[in-house]
Order: sequence, then C-alpha cells, then structure tokens
Amino acid sequence: MPPIIDRNKCVGCGTCVDICNSNIFVFDRSVDTVPRVKFPDECWHCDSCVIDCPKGAVTLRIPLAYMLLHVDADTLKPREAK
Amino acid sequence: MLSISRTLEADVVIVGGGIGGPMAAIAASEAGAKRVLVLEKCHVRRSGSGATGNDHFSCYCPEVHGSDVEPVLNALMNSLVGQAKDVDLMRLHLLESFDIVKKWEEWGINMRPLGHWNFEGHALPGKPRAFLKFDGRKQKAVLAEQMKKHGVTVLNHHPVVELAKENGRVCGVLAIDATKTEPSFVLVKTPCVILSTGLTHRLYVNGSTPNYLFNTAHCPNNAGGQALGWRIGASMVNMEIPYTHAGTKYIQRAGKATWIGVYRYPDGRPLGPFVTKPDPEYGDVTSDIWNSAFIDVMQNGRGPAYLDCSENTPETLAYMRKAMFDEGLSALIAYMDDKGIDPAKHAVEFTRFEPILHGRGLDVDKDGLTSVPGLYAAGDMVGNAGCGLGLAAWMGWRAGRAAAASAALVPEAAGNLADHPVIRAKMELLSSFMERTEGASWQEANIALTQIMSDYANVGPYKVRSESLLNTGLTYLAQLREETKNNLKTSCSHTLMRAAEVLDLFDCAECIMRSALERKETRGSHKRSDFTFTNPLLAEKMLDITRKDDGTIVTSWRNTRV
Repeated sequence: MPPIIDRNKCVGCGTCVDICNSNIFVFDRSVDTVPRVKFPDECWHCDSCVIDCPKGAVTLRIPLAYMLLHVDADTLKPREAK
Repeated sequence: MLSISRTLEADVVIVGGGIGGPMAAIAASEAGAKRVLVLEKCHVRRSGSGATGNDHFSCYCPEVHGSDVEPVLNALMNSLVGQAKDVDLMRLHLLESFDIVKKWEEWGINMRPLGHWNFEGHALPGKPRAFLKFDGRKQKAVLAEQMKKHGVTVLNHHPVVELAKENGRVCGVLAIDATKTEPSFVLVKTPCVILSTGLTHRLYVNGSTPNYLFNTAHCPNNAGGQALGWRIGASMVNMEIPYTHAGTKYIQRAGKATWIGVYRYPDGRPLGPFVTKPDPEYGDVTSDIWNSAFIDVMQNGRGPAYLDCSENTPETLAYMRKAMFDEGLSALIAYMDDKGIDPAKHAVEFTRFEPILHGRGLDVDKDGLTSVPGLYAAGDMVGNAGCGLGLAAWMGWRAGRAAAASAALVPEAAGNLADHPVIRAKMELLSSFMERTEGASWQEANIALTQIMSDYANVGPYKVRSESLLNTGLTYLAQLREETKNNLKTSCSHTLMRAAEVLDLFDCAECIMRSALERKETRGSHKRSDFTFTNPLLAEKMLDITRKDDGTIVTSWRNTRV
C-alpha cells in the first residue's frame, strides 16, 4: 500500500514524515534510517510526499480497489457514425 | 490523565492551516493582532484539500465580466455551488475576491498561467463564467511563507479537539500535541477563534470503495470540524441539505471540472443537452445540473456514464493535462501514465460519491462571525456560503480582520482553562482511550457510524429519509456513542487524533439527522418518504439548528439573505 520509499535513494531527511497530509509516516531514527509507512490505509494519494522528497525516493502505489474504470473511447462512438 | 505540555495565550487562534486559515492568520496580523496562532492537524505546507493544488478560483473580474456583477452571480447561484446559499454573501464574495486574486499573484501564485485572466469551466453555455483558471501548485508553500513573514506562529501536528466558552464568549482551545508518539495536551487562552477545518468526509459509506474511508474527493483528514462550533453552541445551517460530489470511478481524486469532455452513455449518446463536442470554455456542466446523473444511469440500466475526452485536439488535451497538475492531480496522472490510460484514447467512467458536508455547517455573517461571540468560521465548513477555495480565501481574509479588531477590545479571560468543565471532561475522555489495554479501534467506530448514516439518513433519489428512520438512526447513534466512549482504545497521538475526529463525526451526524427531521418536505436529495412534496413556503428559507449550553437542541427557520 502507498507510499513506497526507495531505501537506496532515501537520505532520512524526514520531509515526508513532516508534511504528510494524513500523518501516515513514523520515523524513529534509533530504529531505522528510513521512515516507515505506519498507517497506509489512511493515505489520500495527494502526492505531497512524492513532490516534496528532495531525492525522488517516494512513489505511490494506488490500491487495486481504486482502479480507474475505463474503456476504449472508440466503443462510445454513436452507432450511426461507425 | 495525559499531561498538559503547554499552556499558551493568543489574540486570535486559527484552527486549520488549509486555505482559509492562512488567509485569516495573515489578515489578522496585518490588522494589528500581535499573537496570531495557527493550530494545524498536519502541516501547513501540505494540509487540506488544496494540498497540492487547485485550478479554479471563483471571483468577479470587471475587465472580463463587465461592469455588472449580477449576471456572474446569477450563473453561480444557478449552479450546484449556489444551492442553499445566502445571496448577499455570495455577491460580496464575488465582488471582493478579485482583490484576493491580485494579492495571491503578488505573493507568487500563478494566477494567469495563460498570461491573461482566463475564466472557464463549471458553466452553462452562453452564461458568464465565475471560475478563474489558475495554477495552484505553489499555493500552500506561498501561504506558509506569507504567514512566516507576517509573524504568525504555526503549530503543525496540533489537532484541535475542543473549544471553551466563558460568559457566552469563546475563551480557549484544547489541542493535542501530536508531534511525538506519546500525546499530550496543549491549552490556548484566546478571545477569538477562527475555524477553518474544511469540509467533512467519512460520515457515509464510501460511494466508490465501500471498504476504504480515505478514498475521498477532498481531504479525508477534514473530518467533523463543524462539531467544534456545534458543541460550543454556534448555529448550524443547511446540515440536512445533502451535497454529493462526483468524479472518476473508483479513485475519487479527480478534479471533475478539470476534465474537458462529453459525458456519454456506452452507446455514445451524450448524457446531457449542453455539449456534444468537448468545450474547454464551459466543460460539460451536465452533472452540475443533473446531480444524480451518474447513479440514475446505473439504476435505469442505461449506464454506466463515461467522460469522453477523445475528440479534443492534441492542444486541448495538453492544456487539460497541465490543468490537472495545477489542480493537484499529479498522483492521478502518474497512475494513468503507468497504466496506459490516455484521455485521447480512453473514456473514463464517472460516478456520484457519498454525501459530505461541503458548504454545510456554521451559519456566519459577512465577516465569518458565528452566533457565538468571538467564534468565526471560513471556508467549506460554512453552511450559508460556499464556493471552494475562492470563498475560503476571501472569507478567511474577512474573518481574520474582524477577529483582530474584536480581540483588541476584549479583556483577557480570567479562568484557568485546565479547570474549565468542558475542557476537563474532554481531556479525561481522551485520556481514558489511551489508558485502556483492550478495546475497539477508531476505525470500528467510524465504520459503524457510516453504516448508521447510510441506512437511516441517506439521500435521494434512491434512498429516503423519514421520521421513523431518522429517529431510529438517532437511537443507534446514541448507542454507538456510549459504546465508543466505554470501549475505544488508542495507542498513540495519531490514533488519538483519529478518535477525536470520530467523536466530532458523531456530533455532525446527530446534527444532520435532527435537522433532517425538522425539514418536513422533500428538497433536492433530501427525500422524505413521509413528506414527498416540496413546500414552496420553504423555498427561500434556511433551517438553523443550535445546541444550547444545557444540551437541548433547538431549530428555527430564517429567510435566505438576498
């Protein structure tokens, strides 16, 4: 569940922890050098952590249940126009 | 009991650092208030519905609209946002908001991404357009910077959970210090509080993903802030008039009006009569006019409804994509790119979401003043005005100035906030959640609430309300409240914050159901099975509901202000 932090890129600055719209991260530097996503179900997918990460270490994974339903637009062409 | 880590004093306290809150803080500071304090649940750089952007700001621009504001006002009042609003407030908002636009531009927010004042979207063909297209990506950073320049004190990660009143006037605020895992309380004595906590989600079962509380069209952390005003005795208005947003399915983060296309049935026919080809200037206003369109087509079997953008020119599609970034939809764009979903080739299904409190809440005057002296409100939590970001910015500004002037005239409250019975009771209740070793999670309580609201206070056209259902819902809500108070368990400052939100949501739910009982007619999506008609005598009236200090609840009708 979102967000995903790339441990190889993260420098442990804590920006994502601080600015998260939903306060979903925790960061205990005595335990790990990378923040932990403690409350993934509360992510709003606002992208703040992705945008503000100075190292580009954060990506979002949109849950399967949020799938964007879509069809090929050609299937919507009025029948007489086909 | 949890400890009180700090006791502060301020001239003006602002609850919520979204859009209205920072504007109120800056205005209060400019108007002479020395100690201006913003208490923000998350972080002012990225909090609230405007976290990563917005692309439309409602205002009246004489050089674009001409010398008469009335046609613009009429267009706005006849749209979804104009529903159940005081006309005088909306007029004043339009008249004064362009000054705010110019201020934002001066501060560094890109209000003219195309180089000119460009008004588009949310409009009927041939009618004036009230929404200025802008690039809001930097809005939060700019407002945070302006607060700093104006000497405003900001406490991030400090959710406000209760207000206190002394001799009929606001006297203080209780917040949780959630900067650390272990929570503590912060008390602030103040003669003026400006609430700007945004709209309220998480009251009903989620309309697109029933198992997910946080898949919401606006910030899901705005949950129940109206209840802070309710509990202190401020009049609430329009709580029973349902508002439902619409957008992409299943993900709710959509920015509906940013899409340029035509709503179509699967056989290609347009849903509405307004556009048959994509129109950047007006958008397809069908769902603004026909609010239940997306669920109607599912109920009658002709659906689903798609938004088809494929007939746009490549230039318009590029413009739309950029506007989506301006609106703060970069996560959606990244997802679509990753999945190969291309508006040039694919049509996206749209749906109506669950009811929310958007432009429902505190009844305010032109300065955002509520019925409680010293208490102001601005933005989406206001019940008698509402127009998203533009109104939040404008009303925050007015409220900030008014609060600063009021604070200068009021002597400091004498009492000790920690001994205030309302504050004391809240601290004891929240502390009991932390002391429990076993118990229910806040999610259980929140989900139970959404079940009750969706079964007993749901909205039309396919769900009904009635005296029987609403009274039953109130009984179940009372049971849930009691169970929650006696069983909820929290383990850290974060879950304690969520627990406090759920308590606020309970109050909002009660306020909705009691108001819905009093509106003995069917109006819009407020569909009463026992009063199936729309009463013309109530056409220009609004329903106020107030919780008195002794706990009794009173309702009254007032005329819509013109």
